[in-house]
Amino acid sequence: VRRRDHMLDGLDQEIRDHIERETLDNIERGMPPEEARYAALRKFGNVMRVKEETRAVWSALWLEQLLQDVRFGLRNLNKDRRFTLLAILTLALGIGATTVIFSAMDSILLEPFIYAHADRLAIFFIHDLNQPNDNGRSSFSVPEFMDFREQNHVFEDVAGYSGQDVLYAGNQGAHLFDGAWVTANSFDLLGMKPFLGRAITSDDGKPGAAPVFAMSYRLWTKQFNRDPGIVGTTMTLNDQPRTLVGIMPPRFLWGNCDIWMPIYWTHSDLPGTNAGHPRMFLSPLARLKPGVSLQAATADLNVVAFNLSKVYSQDYPPHFDVITGKLRDEVVGQFRFTLYVLMAAVSMLLLIACCNVANLLLARATAREREIAIRASMGATHSRLIRQLLVESFLLSVAGCAAGCLFAYFGLKWIQMEAPLLSVPAEALIALKPAALWFALCVTILTTFLCGLAPALHAVHGDLYPRLTGAGRGAGAGFRHGKLRAGLVIFEVGLSILLLIGAGLMMRTVLALQHVDLGFNPRNILVVRPAFPPGRYDTAVKKRVFFEQVMQRIAALPGVIAVTETSTPPAYAYSGIGSEVTIPGTTHADSWTTIFRLCGTDYFRTLGIPLIRGRALSEADVDSASHVVVINQTFASKYFKDEDPIGKQIKFDQLDQIADAPHNAYFQVIGITGDIKNQGLRDAPMPEACLPYTITGGYFRRILVRTAVDPLSLLPNVRQEISAVDSSVALAQTDTIESYLTQWTYAEPDFAVTTLGIFAVIGLALVIIGVLGVMAYSVSLQTQEIGVRIALGAQQSDILKMVLLKGLRLIAAGVVIGVLASYVATRLIASQIWGVSPTDPLTFAAVVTTIILVGLAACLIPARRATRVDPMVALRYE
Amino acid sequence: MSTKEQSQRIELLQGTLDLLILRTLLLGPAHGHAIAKAIEFRSDDVLQVEQGSLYPALHRLIKRRWISVEEGTSENNRRAKFYRLTAKGRRQLAVETSKWGKFAGAIARILRPAKKGSEP
Repeated sequence: VRRRDHMLDGLDQEIRDHIERETLDNIERGMPPEEARYAALRKFGNVMRVKEETRAVWSALWLEQLLQDVRFGLRNLNKDRRFTLLAILTLALGIGATTVIFSAMDSILLEPFIYAHADRLAIFFIHDLNQPNDNGRSSFSVPEFMDFREQNHVFEDVAGYSGQDVLYAGNQGAHLFDGAWVTANSFDLLGMKPFLGRAITSDDGKPGAAPVFAMSYRLWTKQFNRDPGIVGTTMTLNDQPRTLVGIMPPRFLWGNCDIWMPIYWTHSDLPGTNAGHPRMFLSPLARLKPGVSLQAATADLNVVAFNLSKVYSQDYPPHFDVITGKLRDEVVGQFRFTLYVLMAAVSMLLLIACCNVANLLLARATAREREIAIRASMGATHSRLIRQLLVESFLLSVAGCAAGCLFAYFGLKWIQMEAPLLSVPAEALIALKPAALWFALCVTILTTFLCGLAPALHAVHGDLYPRLTGAGRGAGAGFRHGKLRAGLVIFEVGLSILLLIGAGLMMRTVLALQHVDLGFNPRNILVVRPAFPPGRYDTAVKKRVFFEQVMQRIAALPGVIAVTETSTPPAYAYSGIGSEVTIPGTTHADSWTTIFRLCGTDYFRTLGIPLIRGRALSEADVDSASHVVVINQTFASKYFKDEDPIGKQIKFDQLDQIADAPHNAYFQVIGITGDIKNQGLRDAPMPEACLPYTITGGYFRRILVRTAVDPLSLLPNVRQEISAVDSSVALAQTDTIESYLTQWTYAEPDFAVTTLGIFAVIGLALVIIGVLGVMAYSVSLQTQEIGVRIALGAQQSDILKMVLLKGLRLIAAGVVIGVLASYVATRLIASQIWGVSPTDPLTFAAVVTTIILVGLAACLIPARRATRVDPMVALRYE
Repeated sequence: MSTKEQSQRIELLQGTLDLLILRTLLLGPAHGHAIAKAIEFRSDDVLQVEQGSLYPALHRLIKRRWISVEEGTSENNRRAKFYRLTAKGRRQLAVETSKWGKFAGAIARILRPAKKGSEP
């Protein structure tokens, strides 16, 4: 720096001397002194620029000028606060919304789990080839599970899991926890370190090992106030004392459970008899060896499964293959697609926001034409001017980014609450993470160039002279700006059409889904699942005794219309017990399947399912566990075709697997009911059958209560009645069918439609700003012309028409582009759309009308202003 | 400079000015105005140098240490800055000259046949 100061010292003097010498030379050649000096100056060129460039040679100029630019930019932005706020708000909406969706994708799709090597965790299914729509069976008896674990060549290890209600006898009575049996190698496989104490280790599964368990951070907080003293204590779980060895870290919730209890995990540890353990089914979670693809795993497992199908033949359908999937994909499933759609929508929103800010900047650049021209003529180079303008848009973007991140923070809070539970792993941490902040920063830099480059390039190009004198206003450069701005508005309108049509189709889908006839009346139905202490109600007779008393007591409660017992409530994801059926006298190559549920007498009355023929289950049927069955219409038409099913015999093969169920039993059809939606809202019902609940003591049981009042208000009474019959029975899963439907069935489309709806509204608002801006600008350019027209006798209505027509032309061009793009693009989201065509004319028409009306309304303000132009003022302006 | 018609003047190519300054200083130290005059005179007024652009170029060369600067007294007894070629600058001049020769030759070779073709 010192060398530089020394070198630059005397530069001014040197230049003055130079010009003086040249002047003297010119005088010697015979020029008059005035002319000589003028010629010398002209010859020398722009003195300011020479000085600046000379200084530039010496300075660490880039940074210095950048700081200068930043200061200048801040001053400029501060001068025009309205513009600045509008631009920052627009960018904040764009960047914020994009960051929210990116964060959600990052949290849900990229790293939903905290397990070690989560990307290699896989699960597998035995897939019945006759049931193409169903993934198949993913639970295995313990010996079969162990065979899979030991015979495959593709997994590092396989852990097993089986859900188990855990009754905890605490000081304040019985509590029910969500628990699970897990093979003792699970925590090693998942690579989980405990938060406190120790994790369950492989040794805990050895025969003779002391019974232990691990607890979730969630339960530790909720139930035990984070008391570290409870680690190492012994608690009574399901009537058995177990020692708590550790608390797992906050995000660890494998199987969405709070209690994990280890079981054996190798053949050698397997007890000789099944005594003490009911026939347990384990869902496997496997870790692929590094570099093993899913295809390779599938091929290997197919061989293993083929061999095992001979050993455990009753568990295998005649034709099957193995499906393997990454854990992440299986959990997130279709929701991935929803997120992609939202990402596309939000990118459009960002583009619209960028168009708007570019438009604002263009308008500003036009207003600043003269300033820029002066700076250029004072010796600022093009690159310097462009950089100055880009620094300004960068400052805007940075402010927008900061505001956007704030916006994203709250947006994510909302997503956390609203995201559909079914599709988002309980362990996913939806929050603003570093990755998302980096993403926001990248978007910021991108928006700087998207918004700033075109205006900057336009600002510095073209002739300086007319701009300096002011004659260029409305002509020349202004015309080019006008074209670019119009183009941006057309693009913006097109994008918003696309966005609105997408949102519109989703909205119609949700409407259609909400109006799907479920086949029963879901209003005011309470669902409770009694959790029985182990071994206490394990036979059909004991269950019958319990339920008979409970049903009578609940039915007597004021406000109760009907009550029934059932194994599986309708419209739940798991809506029945799957089974193959055998119907005497029929021959068919494919396997015939149905779902069945175990029901009490009032099942149909409670749910409001119409009986179409025959009769429902009677008290006597249930009492004597008669072999009778009520089937639905789909069952009747699919398997009995034209014959009358009443009186026909059906065998449910699945019952042969249940120890205490009637084996090889044929059930006589006594009635046919209407169909209910038992495969979710979108798909046609599948065959379904109802059997008396007294034929077996197995399976979960639930109580459905139809009420005349708010169902949840009766919950304490129901709890009390059950407790009066047996206080050791706890209640698991208390809910209403309606809330279940809202939470699970409608949640995903609702989430998509709300999010898209918000984006669509923001998009529409941005379009209004865009159209308003460009029309206001165009009117201001035409002030003179309008003044002349008025002076020549044009009516206000003519002027109004002229401006509106101009605006309409822009909007119409955008609409055409948007509709064409939507026609193609909506096919891409066809799988998300249900009950409405992807090119639904009604949606298209509604969106187009909305955009045109909104756009015209936005034109109206500048158009009104145009009609008020005072011809005298406009002409004097010249 | 006014002796030549506008159309016959040639704008300097980027970087050529550095070469011309080095070549001029080969004859001995000179101050800014003298360098400008020398370039104009020696090119028979064909090369048009916007005289001001000389100064950033001079400073560029100083920064690269191809020339040095010293205070001195000019022909009319006035103090002035004199620029002098350094040893490093001399070597650079040789390199640049040979580069320029190659460049000019190459351009000439490309242009020659086209010229022939355009003659009747």
